[in-house]
Amino acid sequence: MKITVKVNGVAYTHEVEPRISLTHYLREILDLTGTHIGCDTSGCGACTVTMDGKAVKSCTILAVQADGSDITTIEGMANGNEMHPIQAAFKEHHGLQCGFCTPGMVMTAADILKNNPNPTEEEVRHGLEGNFCRCTGYHNIVKSIRHAAEQINS
Amino acid sequence: MLSANTDVLWKMLNDPKVLEKVTPGIKTLEAQGEDSYKAISEVKIGPVKGEFKGDLALKDKVEGESCVVVLDQKSKMGNVVAEIGMTLVQKEENQTEVQYTGEAKMSGMLARMGQRIMSGVVSTLSKQFFQAMEKELQDSQ
Amino acid sequence: MEKFIGKSVKRREDARFLKGAGKYTDDIKLPKMTQSAFVRSPYAHAKILSVDISEAEKAEGVVAVFTAQDGCGEYGVPCGWQVDFKNGETMREPQHPLLAKEKIRHLGEAVAIVIAESLELARDAAELVEVEYEELPAVTDPKKAMEEGAPLVHDQWPDNAAFDWCIGNDRADVEAALATAHHVTEVEYHNQRLAPNAMEPRSYIADYDVNADKWTLYTSTQNPHLIRLLLCAFALGIPEHKVRVVSYDVGGGFGSKIYHYTEEALLTWASKEIGRPIKWTSDRSEAFLTDAHGRDHVVHSRMGFDKDGKIVAHLTDEFCGLGAYLSTFAPAVPTYLHGTLFQGVYTTPLIHLNVTAPFTHTVAVDAYRGAGRPEATYLLERIISKGAQEMNMDPTEIRLKNFIPPFDGVEQPGYQTQVALQYDSGNYHGVLKRGLEMLGYEDFRKEQKEARENGRLLGVGFSTYIEGCGIAPSAVVGALGARAGLYEVGQVRVQPTGKVSVYTGAHSHGQGHETVFAQFVADKLGIPMDDVEIEHGDTEQVAFGMGTYGSRSLAVGGSAIVKSIEKILEKGAKIAAHKLEAAEGDLEYAEGKWTVKGTDKSVSFGDVSLTAYVPHDYPEGLEPGLDFSSFYDPTNFTYPFGTHIAVVEVDPDTGKVDLKRFVACDDVGNVMNPMIVDGQIQGGVAQGVGQALLEEVVYDEGGQMITGSYMDYAMPRADDLPMIETDRTVTPCPHNPLGVKGAGEAGAIGSTPAVVNAVVDALAHLGVTDLQMPLTPQRVWKAMQN
Repeated sequence: MKITVKVNGVAYTHEVEPRISLTHYLREILDLTGTHIGCDTSGCGACTVTMDGKAVKSCTILAVQADGSDITTIEGMANGNEMHPIQAAFKEHHGLQCGFCTPGMVMTAADILKNNPNPTEEEVRHGLEGNFCRCTGYHNIVKSIRHAAEQINS
Repeated sequence: MLSANTDVLWKMLNDPKVLEKVTPGIKTLEAQGEDSYKAISEVKIGPVKGEFKGDLALKDKVEGESCVVVLDQKSKMGNVVAEIGMTLVQKEENQTEVQYTGEAKMSGMLARMGQRIMSGVVSTLSKQFFQAMEKELQDSQ
Repeated sequence: MEKFIGKSVKRREDARFLKGAGKYTDDIKLPKMTQSAFVRSPYAHAKILSVDISEAEKAEGVVAVFTAQDGCGEYGVPCGWQVDFKNGETMREPQHPLLAKEKIRHLGEAVAIVIAESLELARDAAELVEVEYEELPAVTDPKKAMEEGAPLVHDQWPDNAAFDWCIGNDRADVEAALATAHHVTEVEYHNQRLAPNAMEPRSYIADYDVNADKWTLYTSTQNPHLIRLLLCAFALGIPEHKVRVVSYDVGGGFGSKIYHYTEEALLTWASKEIGRPIKWTSDRSEAFLTDAHGRDHVVHSRMGFDKDGKIVAHLTDEFCGLGAYLSTFAPAVPTYLHGTLFQGVYTTPLIHLNVTAPFTHTVAVDAYRGAGRPEATYLLERIISKGAQEMNMDPTEIRLKNFIPPFDGVEQPGYQTQVALQYDSGNYHGVLKRGLEMLGYEDFRKEQKEARENGRLLGVGFSTYIEGCGIAPSAVVGALGARAGLYEVGQVRVQPTGKVSVYTGAHSHGQGHETVFAQFVADKLGIPMDDVEIEHGDTEQVAFGMGTYGSRSLAVGGSAIVKSIEKILEKGAKIAAHKLEAAEGDLEYAEGKWTVKGTDKSVSFGDVSLTAYVPHDYPEGLEPGLDFSSFYDPTNFTYPFGTHIAVVEVDPDTGKVDLKRFVACDDVGNVMNPMIVDGQIQGGVAQGVGQALLEEVVYDEGGQMITGSYMDYAMPRADDLPMIETDRTVTPCPHNPLGVKGAGEAGAIGSTPAVVNAVVDALAHLGVTDLQMPLTPQRVWKAMQN
């Protein structure tokens, strides 16, 4: 099937097999390997991207379902060499260790802050429910996201 | 509770054509010996869906009273070995109570992903089985 | 010059990870690369009657299908540690085949590999492989595996034991002391099986280059050199210098990526067969079935106390499951990494541990964050708290009564335990005191009393742990059965311009070596951090290495780098003396330059470096260049310790445990980067809390895994945890140059018993004295009803 999607501001048209997931499309066809695959039951959130402004787990969406949509992946967050405030906050507060869950965390954080520009600790933790991190114990991820909120709001 | 005498039910349970019709998901049932059949079934309940191939056999038969249906089905999602014991108790004329107990052993992905929902699946399938039997009875009358 | 040691320098590696530019193995694509899928057994124990690959071979896009009949790796993957039976019988060591041939011994064991042009085609074709099995009864519980008549995992031996083992004082002496003890506390439980669950599933690409007759294996491993050694010398019998092993970014390991897995060897073998690169990336379901698990100890233990609460003896019997085959470090985990910690931080005079280690029809059990020490700590910290509860003592009081007095390992000697080791330095009172301050213990007990009166169930739990890491002195581990040395290698290559490339055999998969190692190298050389680059993870760049596990990277790997820096400075001084026309003894090195003492005559590190590579005017007889490699073999383990305190509230209606606070005061020796150490502790604590409250791999009676996905295996999520309150004391390690002890595992080792102790404390007034992990609401609620 033929699909046309906009990814990180660039329009692509590809012929794809109906069974491939959006994650697969991003990683294998567009070579955007920042979106990771951590499970096969939509439980880990490593594959989170935003689709038409909403965070989605790209492993649960077929590439053909994304036809006509506007997608942002982790590769589209920074402005050239200048990191997005969420990315900068993760660095500042050591919100990542092995880095594997990080793209999903950053994309989820963007969604949390979009819907709630000034979340409490509890709200951040609740918002991260769909994303596993095995390294940080979430402590510094929560700190990073709250710091990012302050930066964005100031 | 099914509307038939035990001997009518007993005959039905021993008729591959009936079994093929009433057993949920069975696509083909081919006799391969006395009380032993080759079965291809397709089951879809919630996230559990797949084509199974394998054997269906009747054992421990006590004429007109009880038997055990043994299903040994293999699929790419994993395998199921189920033993369903059935006892027919004539309650009144044309009313037979079927007491059944089921035990299913799963392997592979079915066991990992399906175990939680499997008891629900078994009870749904059993219900479907007996509903189909009842319908078959009515149709045959 | 700015100094970096002890500062929370932000990580260099973050930029690439945050931009999605990390290079994990599955991100790599090679020209002509094929993909692969495995056909895995749906049974835990079965005979393989037949394997029919004819349909699969004909399927679209299939390049090759291999089974055990194709002669892949006849030796199998090796075990790296030998623990013999107490009676002298050699450890039973089964062959661990790359593909199962006649028999299946655990669920998910691979029978065939299908290699195709794409992953989808490989998976489609794998479904066409027909395997006929005869299912056999299985045993998955380590204690049941040793019962009379249990199904045998390996038919060639009369029972399932791989070995048995004991450590400590004479059993009869310990039993005699227990018989006369004022009070004996007993515990019996299963330290449950855990799945490590690094977020990046294992991934490998094997690439055979026919023209060069060389292999490159890209692998998500914690120790590329070790994999190369095991792969070449044991699994495949191919020349080591013909194999390059590369592990760029690795998405977490926690032990599960130490071992040499069958898939690594099989892909390497198959790549030569087909003459093309092959990739395999585990999916999460396969990870649950095939990654080595952790823990699985069935424990029975008794601890005797005198009337003042002093421990007089401790006797333990354990059944420790090893899985169907012996993974790389498996035999060491329930023995030398476990029994040697039974002293804890207490002066217990008599200790005996007896371990029976059986095979079971399950995937291998090996090191998982802490490896044997969390199991030891859980036992000690549970039983001492239970003892306090039974004797109506405060859990802190009983600990203070039994603590080993402070010793620095310099003025005061190290502490000789009853279980073989000598602790390096410790101040166990210090961490408890600080922990209690952080908690506000007295206030908490008041709050708890009030809460109880209002029907709320609050509890506090303590764990005053010690662990042994920085593994390890090669001679010691060699005597204990290790088949490798456990030194580390560090090369410091000064470039002609004075910039420094450091090559380390340690491997970073989240620990931040690129930052931390550069911090101390910059300080020791007195140069900017920007002038230092850390390289790791490629056997063709780094001379050799043993890799990262056992919290050893800084203590052992860092020390090797320090040794090379010393050699650099020693040679540099000769060049500087020549340039300054002074005696070497008159020079001092500071702030990146050699100065003639008492003068302003100096020469910079950069000038000396350039001279070393452009040796026109140069000391006679001295070799050009400034590049040294060192092997550092530690003289002892290191012994971090700490106090972990959990505060919980239990829902009286549902039994759900809410972890309200977690206080950790750790002593990991000197700290290079506090931000990173805190991060390690926080993450470790989360994993330890996971074991206490949520996680368990469950196999059913037939050996089917019923917790094989994230829908069934519960790991901590963000809203399961509070902020982790951390602080530390500093008792330097006396025997390595950086004075560091290691911080990678401490969090996971100390935290688990603190949480369980807290829940028991919350329910103590209801008569609850013990609970089986994980503390699910159902279990807790049931305990409350009795």
